[in-house]
Amino acid sequence: MSTLLHIDSISTGYHWNTRNEVILHDNISAQVSNGEMVCMLGPNGAGKSTFMRTILGFEPLHRGQVYFDKKSLTDLSVHALAKKVAVVLTDRIDDNFLSAYEVVSSGRYPYASFTGRLKETDHQHIVEALALVGASALSSRFFRELSDGEKQRVLLARALAQDTDLIFLDEPAAFIDSPGKVELMELLRSLCQQNDKGILITTHDMEPALRFADKLWLFADQRHFQEGSPEQLIRGGSINSFFDTEEVVFNPENRRFEKRIDQNS
Amino acid sequence: MVLWFIGLSLMLAVLFYANLWYGSVLIQWTDIFSVLMGKTSVTDISRVIVLEYRLPQAITALSVGMGLGVAGLLLQTIFRNPLAGPSVLGISSGASLGVAIVILLGTSLQFDWLGSTHILSELGVVFAAFSGALLVLGIILFASGRIANVVSILIIGIMIGYTVSAIVGFLQFMSHAEELHAYVLWGLGSFSNSSSEQSVFLLISMLIVVGIGFVFIKPLNALLMGESYARSVGVNTTRVQRAVIILSGLIIALATAFTGPIAFIGLAVPHLARNLFRSSNHGLLIPSVLLMGSILTLLCNLIAKLPGYDTSLPINAVTSLIGAPIVIWVIVKRGRLKKG
Repeated sequence: MSTLLHIDSISTGYHWNTRNEVILHDNISAQVSNGEMVCMLGPNGAGKSTFMRTILGFEPLHRGQVYFDKKSLTDLSVHALAKKVAVVLTDRIDDNFLSAYEVVSSGRYPYASFTGRLKETDHQHIVEALALVGASALSSRFFRELSDGEKQRVLLARALAQDTDLIFLDEPAAFIDSPGKVELMELLRSLCQQNDKGILITTHDMEPALRFADKLWLFADQRHFQEGSPEQLIRGGSINSFFDTEEVVFNPENRRFEKRIDQNS
Repeated sequence: MVLWFIGLSLMLAVLFYANLWYGSVLIQWTDIFSVLMGKTSVTDISRVIVLEYRLPQAITALSVGMGLGVAGLLLQTIFRNPLAGPSVLGISSGASLGVAIVILLGTSLQFDWLGSTHILSELGVVFAAFSGALLVLGIILFASGRIANVVSILIIGIMIGYTVSAIVGFLQFMSHAEELHAYVLWGLGSFSNSSSEQSVFLLISMLIVVGIGFVFIKPLNALLMGESYARSVGVNTTRVQRAVIILSGLIIALATAFTGPIAFIGLAVPHLARNLFRSSNHGLLIPSVLLMGSILTLLCNLIAKLPGYDTSLPINAVTSLIGAPIVIWVIVKRGRLKKG
């Protein structure tokens, strides 16, 4: 097992200009290795997506450094980074005439020539990726006409076609029904184990995260980032301290939230 | 698909020929062929009409059509906005400002010695329009160097357009009736202002800038999925956006300089092409908007000549009458797609 992603004491937040910045999280260090599935868990607005965008270089990195395969983010060109990490984002794709196949084929752009013409090997990668996520039947459909679950499969196929060691997914299950969520997580789990990928997911959904992740990164407003296996974090009481509210408490026994029972009664 | 391209090319050829043939003076269509072949068996008059008037006009219409089609496609993709077109960046307004300064302030600057109708055909107007367009393009590039958000650039472009129109309005208010008339005529657009040398120059330079558009097929296709996805597959989005703005700016500047503002071609043609091929692939769309833009301008030019007067209808009005329904049709059709 080798470290694919090494995050070295970075801070994330919003920067309007150099004098006016809002730091959401400070001094975060963490790693992702191959064969590892990591879930960034936290409530909406805790800064998970901003964190992901920062380590992808979409937002400026003001402190610390991020290393992909020991190469620092600042030294990697956009093109070189595209061969290290593929993404599934929450951005809406609203084009009318893109087919599912064309969406997946865009994952091959880092390898395509100047004209963008795809070679036979590229088409093989695309067909394989579609088969791997069980979306082969969708390939000639317009992407816009697919259901949310089908769209996520196609976008995942696109990330697989990009043939990178790392895949980042931003809230991949947000608009999918419960059985679909479990299916997607199972699929990601098997990609991790069988294809030896490193997978990083942001989610606000605790149940699947606790069930499928090898490692959790906990994010919450005004709290320092915490890392550990689901087991460690539950036993150590971190899940409770991060997510309990005045109304509900996390029960480590059945891994569910329950109504807070007054201790005095 | 190949059949469609053959069909479009044939249509272009037929319309081009029809533009040489149709006009207020009747010329046998076989004679046109002889004139083009340089045979001397035809009378001098038809030779002059075809070679000096109709041919430059057809070449100008064809060049401007392909340019505006491609510019509209490029702008709609990088702004991810179906209503983006040559007019939104304020570049054609910039051209109007240049022309307004030359024509409307002409008297005070002492270069109206040719009379207002002649001013229109003068290279001075072409030069003024081109400079005005480049000025606005420069401002937009300056802004885009500071602002990464492409939507902000779009808004800045529209605001520049309003500002420039206000200045033009001010100039119009202060000018004499004669110059005002000349300026209004320019604003109605015309394919018949260029001499044969000018039209060939326009065609060649348009082919060059439009040809550069083919370089961007891959990044433009990546941008269909949005900036973040494009970036994630290795596209330097900011650089591509800037390059495409410069390129389409040059195309619009060239077109507007020679013909005045031509509405709706750049907006409507990309929609037509997408719906015809049911594709967003730029490898397919760039050549097809090139052909369809030319077809549409040649068709409009033909329609403008329909009444059979000595002078033709204002081309800008004809393109609007044809182009606006196309855009409405596309939007209605799209709405039905979403519902179904």
